[in-house]
Amino acid sequence: MGILRLSHVEVRVPDLELATAYYTEVVGLYETAREQDRVFLKCWDEQQHHSVILTSEPTYGLNHMGWKVRYREDLDHYTDRLAKAGVDVVRYQAGEIGPGHGEAIRFTLPSGHVMELVYGMQIVGNLLPLVNPPPKPINMVGFAPPRLDHIFITCEDVAGNTTFLQEVLDFHLTEQVVGDDGFQVATWLERSHHSHDIALVTGKDRGLHHFAFWVDDWTAIRDTADVLAYHGVPIETNPTRHGATRGHCIYFFDPAGNRNEAFTGGYQVDPEEPPITWTEAEMGRAIFYYDGVVDQHFLTVHS
Amino acid sequence: MGMQRLAHVDVTVTDLDLAAAYYTEVIGMLETERDENSVYLKCWDEPNHHSLRLIYGPRVGFDLMSFKVDRDDDLEEFERRVLNYGFPVRRVSKGERVGQGESIQFETPSGQVMELVADLEMVGRATSPVNPVPFVEGLPGIAPPRLDHLLVTAEEVGDSTKFFEDIFGFRTTEQLLDGQGHQAATWLTVTDSPHDLAIVTGKNGGLHHFAWWLDDWDHVRRSADVLAYNGIQIDVGPTRHGITRGNTIYFFDPLGTRNEVFTGGYRPDPEFPTITWTEDHIGRAIFYYEGELNTRFMTVHT
Repeated sequence: MGILRLSHVEVRVPDLELATAYYTEVVGLYETAREQDRVFLKCWDEQQHHSVILTSEPTYGLNHMGWKVRYREDLDHYTDRLAKAGVDVVRYQAGEIGPGHGEAIRFTLPSGHVMELVYGMQIVGNLLPLVNPPPKPINMVGFAPPRLDHIFITCEDVAGNTTFLQEVLDFHLTEQVVGDDGFQVATWLERSHHSHDIALVTGKDRGLHHFAFWVDDWTAIRDTADVLAYHGVPIETNPTRHGATRGHCIYFFDPAGNRNEAFTGGYQVDPEEPPITWTEAEMGRAIFYYDGVVDQHFLTVHS
Repeated sequence: MGMQRLAHVDVTVTDLDLAAAYYTEVIGMLETERDENSVYLKCWDEPNHHSLRLIYGPRVGFDLMSFKVDRDDDLEEFERRVLNYGFPVRRVSKGERVGQGESIQFETPSGQVMELVADLEMVGRATSPVNPVPFVEGLPGIAPPRLDHLLVTAEEVGDSTKFFEDIFGFRTTEQLLDGQGHQAATWLTVTDSPHDLAIVTGKNGGLHHFAWWLDDWDHVRRSADVLAYNGIQIDVGPTRHGITRGNTIYFFDPLGTRNEVFTGGYRPDPEFPTITWTEDHIGRAIFYYEGELNTRFMTVHT
């Protein structure tokens, strides 16, 4: 059955205390474990042990992204597929990578990004009881997203990496920006039958453009903007809408300089549906539908 | 391989023109085909031929529910499993049913006809595949993007739930237990939504309602405006469910079939633990804000 969804991201932060304060008090994540150099966090509605790992390092950026698989056998299946594609795979036992972590394999994409597939991460439960639960906890801090949603990475060869994700890891291409020269400038792919779980945009290899939290709706995007402004968090893009994925969104930066997004909306997609194509002339609307112009800051700044 | 999602709901109506007018002008579905005794409709954001079939008949009722499977091979596997469970299966050839290829049909333990189909005719979403706008301008009515789920009635909820779990891999996300610990209602999923199908205690063969997805709570409010403007009888809402956490309105089509608009919920992973509601919390389970049920909601179905 393969990859289900994005499981977690591990990002570098030079000031672990400052970053932890931001992710728990402004974003509203919950700390589930802590080591000298790492803090493990989850969103309130997530059942699993962590979806964000902060690692103390002198710089910022993405250390790895983890994807949840349905069965343990999926780890073997993709180990074989990756080996056939000439990709080295390292296997980890449950708990070896960190507290609460499941069995995993790690490998490197052509773009240099470290990718992990994980099975059986510890279930710690969401914040609600399993008998007669209210629909949400009361008195949460920050904008309190229910879960992690997707990741957007940068790479030099978008087409090559997109093909790798499709052919080796069974991702489904939902949308693409095609340049006037016929090459893919950016692509959106899914495993969960929602509009995207990962996107790739032309830029330097190994780059993180952003990772995104899901929020309930457009009103929650506004509430997020209120929380961010209150705390003095730099907002890069005001509440707006994407043409690609149709999602509503707001972009901002964590204290280390990693770009975050709060996202909602989009659509459901069947596996056999052909991709939506955006032409270079309409790239502005593909990215920000209301503004309709290509934002150079958005396209060039990453971590 | 396996079950993918709800594909379409087929209901019988005693006045085809009245029903078609309601579903196109108040709901805002698009008519894709019409023949002597049927009207086929889809939501604007659905890629396939139809998600609702209205069939002219002498009484208002439920004809069948159709689920999409990944591949044609899955039909053989599910046919084998249903036969092993002791239920006869009918093969329907390509060309016999409008807008789809080969399918299988059978009765569930609670007497509803269920259909499985892999090959749904692709007619495309209402938006362009090149540089699409994110919505369609000027659609009448509520204009939901897609069908979401349905709720059927069964004399033995537990037996039906087991059938859907064992044969098709549905997962029970939530259950309502009566005072004796028996399942009085269950909510099941094959996707990552909190329910694609729900089963509640009632007569066998019944349809309680089917529901469309809406964007958000603001879309729920606009739907209430549209319904009231058109003089549609609202059953309950706008409100929230304790079960599924969804925001909702219930109402009736002009012939008496219950409809719902729904949004929200959560995304359960396959190993999501079943949430249990006890009988003393049934009011909040169904209608979280009111905390109590109305009799009509519990007893009226088609």
